[in-house]
Amino acid sequence: MSMTSLLVVPVLAQLPEDGGFAVHASMLPMHATTAAVGLLVGLVVWPRLRLDRRAGGVIGAVVGSVGPLLVTVPLRGCTFEPGRDPVELWLGIGIAVATTAALLAAVVWLARMAAVQQGRLRDTSLEQGGGAFRTGPAVPLLLLAPTLAVLVVFLYWPAVETVRLSTRIVRLSAPNQPFVCLGNFTRLMEPSADPVAIVLSVAWVVATAVVVVRRRRTTVHVMGDAVPWWLPRVRGLIGGAALITLTIAVLGDAYQRVFTTTLILSAGTVLIGLALGLGIAWLAFQPLRGQGLYRTFLIWPYAISPPIAGVLFYVIFDPIAGIAGHLVEALTPFELPNYRTDPTLARSVVILASVWKTLGFNILFYLAGLQTVPNDIIEASRIDGANGWQRMRFIILPALSPITFFLVVTNLTYAFFEIFGTIDYLTAGGPVGATTDMMFSLVRAGRVNGSFGEGAAQSLILLAMVLVVTAWQFRSTGRRVSYGA
Amino acid sequence: MKRSLLALLVMAMLMAACSADDTTDDATEEAAEATDDAAEPTDDEPSAETEEAEETEETAEDTEDATEEAAEATEIQMWVAFTDYRLDWARDVATAFTEAHPEIAIDIQGYDDYESLFQATQLAAEQGDAPAIVQYFEVATQEARDAQTANGPLFANLEELIDGRDEILGEPVVLDDVVAPARDYYTLDGQFTSMPWNTSSAIMFSNTTMLAEAGITEPPATWADVDAACEAVAALPEAPTGCITWPNHGWFFEQSLGQQGAVIANGDNGRSERASEVELDSQAAVDFVSWWADMEDAGHYVYTGTQRDWSGTYNAFIAGEVPLLVYSSSDTTILTEDGTAAGFDVVASPMPHNGEVDYAGNLIGGATLWLTNGLETAEQDAALAFLQFFSNPENAADWHKVTGYIPITESAISLLEDEGWFEENPNSRVAGEQLAAADGSVASQGAILGSFVAIRDVVTGAIEDILVNDVDPAERMAAADAEAQTLLDDYTALYAAQ
Repeated sequence: MSMTSLLVVPVLAQLPEDGGFAVHASMLPMHATTAAVGLLVGLVVWPRLRLDRRAGGVIGAVVGSVGPLLVTVPLRGCTFEPGRDPVELWLGIGIAVATTAALLAAVVWLARMAAVQQGRLRDTSLEQGGGAFRTGPAVPLLLLAPTLAVLVVFLYWPAVETVRLSTRIVRLSAPNQPFVCLGNFTRLMEPSADPVAIVLSVAWVVATAVVVVRRRRTTVHVMGDAVPWWLPRVRGLIGGAALITLTIAVLGDAYQRVFTTTLILSAGTVLIGLALGLGIAWLAFQPLRGQGLYRTFLIWPYAISPPIAGVLFYVIFDPIAGIAGHLVEALTPFELPNYRTDPTLARSVVILASVWKTLGFNILFYLAGLQTVPNDIIEASRIDGANGWQRMRFIILPALSPITFFLVVTNLTYAFFEIFGTIDYLTAGGPVGATTDMMFSLVRAGRVNGSFGEGAAQSLILLAMVLVVTAWQFRSTGRRVSYGA
Repeated sequence: MKRSLLALLVMAMLMAACSADDTTDDATEEAAEATDDAAEPTDDEPSAETEEAEETEETAEDTEDATEEAAEATEIQMWVAFTDYRLDWARDVATAFTEAHPEIAIDIQGYDDYESLFQATQLAAEQGDAPAIVQYFEVATQEARDAQTANGPLFANLEELIDGRDEILGEPVVLDDVVAPARDYYTLDGQFTSMPWNTSSAIMFSNTTMLAEAGITEPPATWADVDAACEAVAALPEAPTGCITWPNHGWFFEQSLGQQGAVIANGDNGRSERASEVELDSQAAVDFVSWWADMEDAGHYVYTGTQRDWSGTYNAFIAGEVPLLVYSSSDTTILTEDGTAAGFDVVASPMPHNGEVDYAGNLIGGATLWLTNGLETAEQDAALAFLQFFSNPENAADWHKVTGYIPITESAISLLEDEGWFEENPNSRVAGEQLAAADGSVASQGAILGSFVAIRDVVTGAIEDILVNDVDPAERMAAADAEAQTLLDDYTALYAAQ
């Protein structure tokens, strides 16, 4: 119930004040398709939950046929209007289908709950450490009320408002908020048929098919040989590359640049930051005199806010008076190029500043993690003849995997949402947008240019990207994490 | 049903608790502030800053009066886009005004630049919290006129409020004495809606000591002259880093279009009717940007790599890295002083123009002071009186002397002439003369259009792209034109009558 109400409330809040919903004939194929898929899901899933197959079919079909309305009604069916940009039409269909899929998943989840309650399905939540209130749902709801109230006011309502704003042109002190359909999104898009993206996508589909078919064909005994060990890994890599190239192919020139900048800055910050953090933590972990002092100093940068980091590096790399240029000139025959006009150097300096900024945090957690690595295992491996690298690779790194997973998540969050403070002071997004990442771009659109519609649209795109990255995170890294239980 | 009712009740209680807290807090804060304000004049101890020591002494005499009056004092909030000596100047004038009108206190807040002040005002207006007086720059004129709040237009019409009075609270009205360039720029539909304060133009400063070494006696007047001078400077045995610089700021682009007689928008630059189309890729635009990019390619123009870099370009000139600087006349006085202190002569001259087309005229820059709507009559008159005092002949003349912004009223000019100021400081004469030389066409008056603040940034970004990435000026300006057109179309939709 809670899931559906969460979905329905935004829709009601969104109902346009002016101009109504118009039905277009071109909507029918989409509804027919989603209804068919819903029917299929109902027919397949309900029996598995030991529920009535026919009821499942009906529910699935209804949800499937109604689902797209969640998107098309608030948009007044504008994407289906004749004469609309095909990009807008397909984007509208994509969002509607994705929403329907989410709705179907929610309904399946509800059905599962119902099956458990009716005793048709074993309740696994208790085995996983879950519990239930003896008093029924009233007390927990009451206890949750303050949290929910805060969430509604400060999270859900702004989120709904963001969705509403993203379909309008909104500016401060303007009397109108004209409705522009998905214009704020399509503004950033300009799909092109990129051959690399197509080849990668096809390769991913083939790899997936091979993996699935091979696993099906084999019996339990030969499972290990059915799929070569490297295939799923390669498939994952190809999938990631395909997703990135596809996204780039869909985006228009200007936003493409913003997207790739985001990828470069985030990857640089996370990879370099974690490697360096682990390295330094390893050194600081060695028993040294005055290690408390070292450790304190190492953690220092974390206490500084991102804009201050920007200012510091601005001064260090200042083309005229900066100490970095001075050192390079004094120690080498080269002259340091001006990072304010050199895109590559500008990005490097931003990465350097944000790595430096997050380093203290990473060191702190790796230091804590290193202290939990069981010493007896290390000693045992030492006796077995494992050298330093092998101890690192096969014992310490796996033991640190929960910390690494946590740090990847927090560092990525930092890279996506907080570097813009550093960027603002260091390069102001320049030169020529070389350091404008998605967050900086949306802050600029919304806060600086006062164009809240565009800012809202960009923040939703960023949200989608973060969702994808988080999902990938949990699938890839999350699965390999060992909590040592 | 019961449950949801209960939840609702809890939420309602929570909210009530929160809002109750808010009001009490506010009230206490205000009360605390009020006591602070009242306490200040009674403070007998000299303040840390020696400058303020005198004032303290003066006010200490009528301590009792001040405490009594503090209760009914009118406080006027004013936001300006300065944080340096110009903010101090404004605050000094406000103090002088309060001495003459003890019942009125003027609180002046400084912002880093026009852009951030513009944003801050919009946000404050949205929250119903705008200050009484705001300094809006010239490009925001259309947006200031159109700005709406829940209770109607954000800004009042100054001319209507003055309503033909000759003086307000004893301060003579100077609005009708404002010099022609500013009057022409800001008068729309026959109405002068805000009070001009700082008005400048783009002029050139030459390090004549260095130019003389290169054998150049006169500051270059045209683009061709600049090219020739730069060749000569580059040929010096100890050549400087470059030859010329100016901030990459859309304003200089607009200046050049004005010089070449080209408009930026239709509807006579948005002056005879609301502009609906921008024109950023005209021949004049492409010519100017191409010349600029060629100078950069030749190593003559020095790009600091930062947009709107007023301080970087200023420092490059003072450090002797370039002998020529195109800059706002707003800093004439301090630039001349700093140059002299650095050991060279600074000569101001008009901004170089395209010698191959007829010169139409340079535009003004700077800002005016806007009065927000919905003030009480007493506040309104206090603010109006302050605005007239702020630009009275003595203050306007002093402001010109301290900065380099043109004297804003005719009487200020005659005051300065009587003093012999211009003979002693010939550099200060250039901006006013350059503005007076304009032919009065709409091109030389400058454009008025919606989203101009954002459009200016589009121009700045495009030029940076051309300078740094060496893209084709004509193509890039065409792209910028399309981008700016979208912004203007958005603006039209935002402000169209419903």
